[in-house]
This record gives sequence, C-alpha cells and structure tokens, in this order.
Amino acid sequence: MATAETAVSLSDVRKTYRIGEPVHALDGVSLEVPQGSYTAIMGPSGSGKSTLMNLVGCLDTPTEGEVVVGGRAVDALDDRERTRLRGTEVGFVFQTFNLMPRLNAVENVALPQLFQGIGRTERRERARDLLERVGLADRGDHLPNELSGGQRQRVALARALVNDPAIVLADEPSGNLDTDTEAEILDLFDEFHDAGTTMIVVTHERHVAERADRIVHLLDGRIERIEELDGGAAEPASRTGSSGRSEGDSE
Amino acid sequence: MNPLESLRLAWRSIRGHKLRSALTTLGIVIGIAAVIAFVTLGASLQAGIIGDISPDDQRNVYGWAAEPDTEGGPLAGAQPVFTGDDLEAVEDLEAVEAAYGYATIQTQAISNGEETVAQGNGLIASGPSYIREERLAEGRQFRQGESEAVLNPAAANQFEENVTVGDELTVTILGGERRTVEVVGITDTSEGQSPFEGFESSPRVYVPTDPYYTEQASGLGTGGGDDGGDNESAGESGEARFLAIIVEAPSDDAADIDAARESATDYLESDQSDASEFLGDDLAVRFQTSTELLQQLQDVLDLLRNFIVGIAAISLLVGSIGIANIMLVSVTERTREIGIMKAVGAQNRDVLGLFLTEAVILGVIGAILGTALGLVGGYVGAEYVDLPLVYPLEYVALAVVVGILVGVLAGLYPAWRAARTDPIDALRYE
Repeated sequence: MATAETAVSLSDVRKTYRIGEPVHALDGVSLEVPQGSYTAIMGPSGSGKSTLMNLVGCLDTPTEGEVVVGGRAVDALDDRERTRLRGTEVGFVFQTFNLMPRLNAVENVALPQLFQGIGRTERRERARDLLERVGLADRGDHLPNELSGGQRQRVALARALVNDPAIVLADEPSGNLDTDTEAEILDLFDEFHDAGTTMIVVTHERHVAERADRIVHLLDGRIERIEELDGGAAEPASRTGSSGRSEGDSE
Repeated sequence: MNPLESLRLAWRSIRGHKLRSALTTLGIVIGIAAVIAFVTLGASLQAGIIGDISPDDQRNVYGWAAEPDTEGGPLAGAQPVFTGDDLEAVEDLEAVEAAYGYATIQTQAISNGEETVAQGNGLIASGPSYIREERLAEGRQFRQGESEAVLNPAAANQFEENVTVGDELTVTILGGERRTVEVVGITDTSEGQSPFEGFESSPRVYVPTDPYYTEQASGLGTGGGDDGGDNESAGESGEARFLAIIVEAPSDDAADIDAARESATDYLESDQSDASEFLGDDLAVRFQTSTELLQQLQDVLDLLRNFIVGIAAISLLVGSIGIANIMLVSVTERTREIGIMKAVGAQNRDVLGLFLTEAVILGVIGAILGTALGLVGGYVGAEYVDLPLVYPLEYVALAVVVGILVGVLAGLYPAWRAARTDPIDALRYE
C-alpha cells in the first residue's frame, strides 16, 4: 500500500484503550499523506486527534491495522527501531514548545542529531543553518527562557527539521502564541512546505487549518470527512503525480 | 550517543542544581574522608611503631625465660635466669655479634641537688649499646663498670632545672641505698628503646648493668638468690641474674637473625650455661625480634582500623542512598525532558546512560573531595599525634573506584526508571 510518494499511510487503524470499559480512540481510520502535502487534522476533544498523532509520530502502535511512516510499517518494529524511525523520519512541533530548558537554541536544534551519533561540529553547523532559516541566526546561544514564545517555536521547528524527516508533525503549534506571532510561525510552515516538507498540523482552529491543502475532520475516532482546499489543488493523485520528489525508497 | 556527550549533558544538569548536587555529594564525601583519614592515621601509626625499630634494632633478638605456654607480650612470665657468664658465653658464639643483659631496677626517687622526684621503675640496666649512638641527642653511651647514666628527655625535664650532660644525680634504690650517677648522655625521644620497655613516652634512666644491677642484685637478692638464698651456686662472676638477654646478630638478614637466635637458644638450654640449672622442664628460653614482639600490637591496630573503616562504610551506604534518592527525585522532575529526548529519537540506553553518568559523576566528585578531605584530616591527625605521615595510596585509588561503584549502584534503579518512561505520558506530564 505504501509507495515511495506516500509519507504516511494508515489503513483501517484501530486503537483501543482498556481502562475498565474498552475505549475506541480510533475506530477504523484510513488515510494517505502524500509527500510534500500539507494536511490539517481537526476535531473536538476526544475525537482521537492525539491518538492519531501518537501513531503517526511513531510514539505508539495501533491495536489493529497498519501504520506506515517513511516506507516502514510501525507496528512491525520493536521499541528500538521505532525510536530510531521517530528520530529520523518524524519532526515534532508541540504547543508548549518542549525545548530542553538547560540547552541553548543551537543545542536544542542539534539534540535529535545527538541521538543519531552525528559529530559535534557537524551538528552545530547544521543547527546554525536551520536557525538562520527560521530567522534566529543571532539567538543561537540563548537559553529557551531567554526567548519569546514565537522564537521558541521557531527553535522547535528548526529542531523538527534537523534530521530531514519524512513528516513534520505539529500539535497546536500556535496554541500558546498571540495572533501576530501565530501568523509568523504559520508563514514559516508555508515556507518549508513550499520547499518540499510534508506537514501535518493538528489543531482545532479553523484559520490555522485553512493554511493546509486539505483538512481531515475527526469525530469519535473516525474520519468524518476530508475537506479539500484551494480548489482541489491538493488532490492526492495529482499532487503526487506532479511531485518531483522520488527518493527511490521503494518498499 | 557517545559517552563524552552523555558526560557533557549530565554535567550540565548537575550544574543546574548546584546546592542539591553538593548536598547529595556530601554523604559520599564524609564516608570516603573518614575511611581515608583513619586509614592514613592507621598507616602512620604503624609506620611510627615500625620506625621505632631502628635499622640497628632490627638485628636484635630479645630473649627471656618463661613457661613455654605463657601468653602475652615481651617479658611475659619472665624469670631471672641469665648470669653474666652466660652473656659472655653467648657473645662468644660465632653467630652472635654481641649480647648483653637487661633488667629494671626498682627505685624510690631520683634527686638533682635539692630537688627529689619520685621514680618507681625508671632505672633500666643494660649493656652500653642498648642505647644506640644515633638515638642520642647529646653526649655518649654509658660505659660498663662506671657510675654513669643516660637519661631520656622526659626524665631530664622532670626537674625544675633541666638536667644536662655532666650533671650528677642521686638515685635512691628500693631499700634506701643511695648512689650517685653522672649523666653522660640524653636520648632523642622519650619513647622506649626496645619492646621490653614498651613504646609509650615516660621518664627513663638508663644505666650499665655493672655496677648497678650486679651489685644491687647481690645486695638485695632479687637476682639469682630466689632459689633458696644460696647465692654461691650462681657462680663467681656475680650472683646477679638477668631477667632478659639481648642478642645482636651480625646483620638484619633473616638468616643471620635466625642463626643468632638458634645458637643462643641452644647454648642457653644446654648444660654448659648457668641458666640451664633454672630452666629445667618448666622454663624455656624465648627469643623474638622487635617486629615479632610488635605483631600483637599490630593485630590490635588492624582490628581497630577495620572497625572504623566499617563504620565509615555505613556512612558510604547512607551517602549512596542519598544519591539514589536525589536521582529518583530528579527523574520525576525531569519526566518532561525525558519525554522530549525520547520523542526526538533518544533510545532507552541513551536515557539510561545519561542518568547513570549523572550518578557516577556525583559519586566520583564525592570520592575525590572525600579523598582530599581525608588526606588533609589524616595529615592534621598525624601532625597532632606526632607521627610520621604515610599516605596509603592504594586506598586513594580504591576511593575513586568506590565512588564510581556507589554512583552506578545508586543510579541504576533511577536511571532504569527514567529509561522506561513512556514518551507519550512524559510529554503530557506537567
């Protein structure tokens, strides 16, 4: 089912939590996220957004069904391989930024590469490059608590991109930001999306979701509907067909 | 993640909690410092005692006659059996360099002019070489047959006006007889010159056996006269019988010492010697070197040291529980950080290594500071008790190893807990 052009694919995924009564957090979800696409996921609390994000982010495994990230089936991997896949193929952007408080901006951006065993010099160069791209070239030595919310989220975005992941997964990326800063961050998302990065944004704010090519509406663990934006420009078939990105990751 | 990176990150979080890390380390510091200080003191004390056995003394064997199964230290159960003839005969033995008697003379008092000081057991009669040249601070050894004496500083300083070489003292021997002695030398320390005296500092006066002991013994019958008062049987050269005999081997080589010891024992236990008439079946001559005589003291010291090290080990245990406790707090406190690291690709072993490194750093810092403190403590202690300072270096190395070990043991469970943290829960953790 997974093709080289598909960054993430879910087929009939179910996630059931057994805390007393079984709770079906996800109840048969199938979704294809093509490479280079920009997907927003919306839904009320308890609709399964977080569970979906954990599955796509390789933090969790489905109870049933198949999740394929970067060409690899997540449910078939053990914890170590899943961690490795997460480190290289998924970049996280969180609502609360989640930066390491005692590491400066450069070190925070370089952190994922640290766990991939990449050398110190190379890490720092890459981190400084990315900080420059998010407009924080002069803030590299600052600790998170010396940065504004918007700046922290830029650092987080740079960190998400550092390993060239298959997808960037953003969970309410502007939830803690004021309107102006939110616009700046979302503009930055657009910029990276235009440069070819696959984006998945989980949000419950309509205007944030509207930046995407399409919006997936979740309700009670199922996909209620998929809303295509920009006059169908993000039709999965046409988009992947026209995409020049084919990394030869055929599986 | 390579160990250097773990070290860097771990050091970062330790520095982030300076006071807490310092207090945590304190337990280890105290434990290690106590061990190092007491072991240093023990080693110094040992060196001090062994050091009292001067190179010259190492070739001496100290002999006395006692019932074979008598237990105890030097002179335990000793009977006065050795005559002057015996001493001369032993000295003539091929394997023996020199031999002289040893006895203590009971005294009542010593006077320096007008001033009189009570002195009980302080007169020690022996051969001239009993006071070795290098242990004299002033003057010379006494000569056999002269009314001369060598004092130790404690004896010389007990008078209002310190006694110096050339002064004359009046000794009142038990029984009231008074004798005048000329002070010819002062020793360098007040510690005993041989295991017979013990090593504690006390006032002592050293005199030649002739005339003091031989005359006094024949006069009072404390020497050889115990066997029914018939002093004539004890031989012509003097009725005095010595409690102990000191035999000098030609060198401190173990073979030479054994040869001297054996030939002296053989002679004394043979029928040729005067001593043999008293030895009979009941008494046996026993010769021991200072080192052998000190062994018992050494055993007590070792026991004491082990006891103290045991107590210090308990303090170390408490210290490591402190590290474990603070690491557990730290893991809980940093749950979110653990979640972040795992989300961005940290493996369980990376997280484990990070926390373990942190615990080991605390342990090692504690060990290093504790070692430094312990060495200073040992130095101050040795200085205070006036002992030669000896640092047991192997214990310093051991302390660092213990520090690492304590860190690993104390950090293992918290680090394992950290590694097992579920990133989803951890990221949700507030």
